[in-house]
Amino acid sequence: MSDRIVLTLRTRPAGAVDASSLALHDWTDRPGAEIAKLSVRVTGAGSVALGDLFSIAGERAPRIRLTGDFSAFEGLGAELAGGDITIEGDVGPRVGTRMRAGQIRVTGSAGWGAGLEMSGGVLEIGRDAGPRAGGAALGAKRGMTGGELIIRGNAGAEAGAAMRRGLVVVGGDAGEGAGRTTIAGTVVVFGATGPNPGQWSKRGTVVALGPVTPPATYRFACTYRPQYLGVLLRHLGTDRRLPVTAEHLTGFYKRYSGDLAELGAGEILAWTRT
Amino acid sequence: MNIRGVLIEDTFAEAFTMRAARLLITGASSRWAMAAALKLTGFATSVIGCKCEAGIEHELATKDTPDGRPGVSVLFMTMSKDDMPKRLIERVGQTVLTCPTTACFDGFPAAPDRVGVGSALRFFGDGFQASKVIGGERYWRVPVMEGEFLVQEKFGMIKAVGGGNFLILARTAEAALAAAEAAVDAMAGLPGVFLPFPGGVVRSGSKVGSRRSKTMIASTNDAFCPTLRAITKSDLAEGVNSVLEIVINGIDAPAISQAMRAGIDAACRQDVVSISAGNYGGKLGPHHFHLRKIMSEGTAA
Repeated sequence: MSDRIVLTLRTRPAGAVDASSLALHDWTDRPGAEIAKLSVRVTGAGSVALGDLFSIAGERAPRIRLTGDFSAFEGLGAELAGGDITIEGDVGPRVGTRMRAGQIRVTGSAGWGAGLEMSGGVLEIGRDAGPRAGGAALGAKRGMTGGELIIRGNAGAEAGAAMRRGLVVVGGDAGEGAGRTTIAGTVVVFGATGPNPGQWSKRGTVVALGPVTPPATYRFACTYRPQYLGVLLRHLGTDRRLPVTAEHLTGFYKRYSGDLAELGAGEILAWTRT
Repeated sequence: MNIRGVLIEDTFAEAFTMRAARLLITGASSRWAMAAALKLTGFATSVIGCKCEAGIEHELATKDTPDGRPGVSVLFMTMSKDDMPKRLIERVGQTVLTCPTTACFDGFPAAPDRVGVGSALRFFGDGFQASKVIGGERYWRVPVMEGEFLVQEKFGMIKAVGGGNFLILARTAEAALAAAEAAVDAMAGLPGVFLPFPGGVVRSGSKVGSRRSKTMIASTNDAFCPTLRAITKSDLAEGVNSVLEIVINGIDAPAISQAMRAGIDAACRQDVVSISAGNYGGKLGPHHFHLRKIMSEGTAA
């Protein structure tokens, strides 16, 4: 038994790789020879064994480290139910889709749909994430239903779209429509929040620590210190090492209720120093 | 056994298994956290008449609270598991929810036994309440006129010990009070314990039942009442003219033993004749704290 299993990508595959089945396997009870026999589907090449794509070190471990350029890999870590995956490099679309528990850490950037419909665990993107991070698949009614998605860089459009529960945090700027059509859940943006945040949200929360313009269908309620933000921001600062400042903790927040075109039980909390 | 001339009697305190919750109450300042804690723990001296027993464990620094504000740790006990949610909902609802700036958090997060508190108090929000899950714990945000009240959905509940005690038998009422005050000061802030009675001291120790009424479950402990020495079967030695009791509840027996050791040692002062303890012959409570063993070995009975 090893401390971790390390898979080093030999060369970037020519076609897109469907890696969505990899996290379904129990890696903790699998010898190295069996790991090498696991396969993924590569566009244009069909089923390809991991042993042909990676050099593999270690066996029977709950922690997996992948190194290389995985931008052609789709659905890495999909439906993860436990354990710990570190992806050193960029990763393609839908990383951590429908993950239920455990932790996935990507040191680089992620393609669209990171944490799509995830229900638990922690997915951390070291740099930027593409559109619909933590959101719903196109046409689906419900996005994320639990867990935490931490994006340390910028997020594309519609981060947290249609989420039902859970937490999406954007360390940089969020694109257009963050928290759009949320049923509930929380989106925190440390940088600038793009146009139309929380549009058509029922009960969701958008916490904007940078510039934000609430949609016209939101109405200003009051300026106050939401007690729960003290707990949330301390969690993000301490446990997730995000740049929470004393001013964030002690500052006031303007509360806008909305979306009044919907249920209107949602909110945008816009941080203000005064 | 003698400590500075004070006799430590060869007897034991008899205590009971209770259920305990720990509440972390925070506020904009320690003034408001303490205001809520004092109200919450008020009229919570004995389950006999108050249905619960509660006390302040210690104040909390900002670094030790979930929201980074000043706080107070409160221990709260009931006799049964079923009583706990009722009493907590009543008390947190009436004394913390109502108190400006405060929030209420669970102090036993690892306890597998959970009781719903925020899950019931949320209904005060009349449908405007909202919940948030942070770090796997659900919190309820209840809108109030001041802003919002934040309360954790569930609180941990553990088995605990109630009724640890010792008696200070003194030559004068002044000496008994001074010794009791010294004992309370020595026990103040010790982890895992609280003293449920006023100022930590009881003057009206009780015996089980009553001589005259079948419905009374407790009545004055006449064996330790100096004024009844001549007309009852007294347990008081010659020269004892006043007795005070210190009751100690704790999250476990070692915590109570530690507090009793500190308290008894501090109570051994001038004009204190002896230190005794209240028990029921060992037939009622499963936890026995033998005074001499505690003072000599420093171990739980």
